[in-house]
Amino acid sequence: MTDNEGTGRYVYCIAQVDEKLSLGRISLAGTEVYTIPTGGLCAIVHDCPAAPYSSDEEEIVHQWVVSHQAVVEAALKEFGTVLPMRFDTIIRDTDGVSAEDNVRRWLSDDSDVLRQKLERVRGKEEYGVQVFWDPTAITRLLSETNPEIAGIEEDIRSKSKGLAYMYRQRLEKLLKQEVETEVEKRFRDFHHRIKASVSEVRLERTKKEGDKQMMMNLSCLVPMEGVRPLADELEEIDHMDGFSVRFTGPWPPYSFVTWE
Amino acid sequence: MEPTRELHGTISDLLDRVLDKGLIINADVIITLSGIPLIAVNLRAAIAGMETMLEYGVMTDWDEATRARERRIREERAAVGAQ
Repeated sequence: MTDNEGTGRYVYCIAQVDEKLSLGRISLAGTEVYTIPTGGLCAIVHDCPAAPYSSDEEEIVHQWVVSHQAVVEAALKEFGTVLPMRFDTIIRDTDGVSAEDNVRRWLSDDSDVLRQKLERVRGKEEYGVQVFWDPTAITRLLSETNPEIAGIEEDIRSKSKGLAYMYRQRLEKLLKQEVETEVEKRFRDFHHRIKASVSEVRLERTKKEGDKQMMMNLSCLVPMEGVRPLADELEEIDHMDGFSVRFTGPWPPYSFVTWE
Repeated sequence: MEPTRELHGTISDLLDRVLDKGLIINADVIITLSGIPLIAVNLRAAIAGMETMLEYGVMTDWDEATRARERRIREERAAVGAQ
């Protein structure tokens, strides 16, 4: 499938421009980035062999990804709204058809759906929101405020060693349940508040980040110049006992252009 | 609260987006080399990590739905690759 004899076009993004333009020598290979226009749309590309960029070296991949992003940013600045492509999207030549013609054919065949996608993200930017919780702080908070838990703790002090052990088991089980209920409640509350302050929100997979427990990982689509309501909600959540927020962006709308 | 884009602190956010999201070309329409996960397998494993909330029962349904969707996408890709 990877025919190294062939030629390809690495595609960074799609924009609504019907003109052949150069963005300079800013490709991830240090070569020229330019537009391939057709029917009111264009692909922002560089010329490459018909083989994916691939490396086991983290540093190289990082550089490619940062360069990919830099080109998308440059296109965003130049053309306004763009549809960012996933890394390593390469369109190659086929029997008798050049890579460039295949790019044009794709743009015109998919024109309707590409335009729909452009409309969805027009004038909007993406932000990343990750909410973390601190199990120690939440557990402490609950054992201070929950009367049932406080009651068991009182019981433990007055019981024999054996009984105290059983009560402690019960306490731990109860605490775990209560923590779960509390975090689920907060999850729904935060999600609701964040959703109300943005155009669109997507739930992403949570991931491990150091010792912190991520309870929520969101991508938010927000009108340009309209991030204040979201920022205010996050400020409040970030100030709550036991919870903290990571807020990144603005990003090109990578999370809102995938096929649903 | 102000959002951050400072590169040092947000490289994982950038990798998540550029490697796992972004538009994928509909392979029925055109031949493409995208979707072949040759790059940085170890890197992705390091980034992905565990879904810590699962043990607390939060988002289980959502997670299962996501897995199912990803399985479907993988299968579609495999079918495309086999053509």
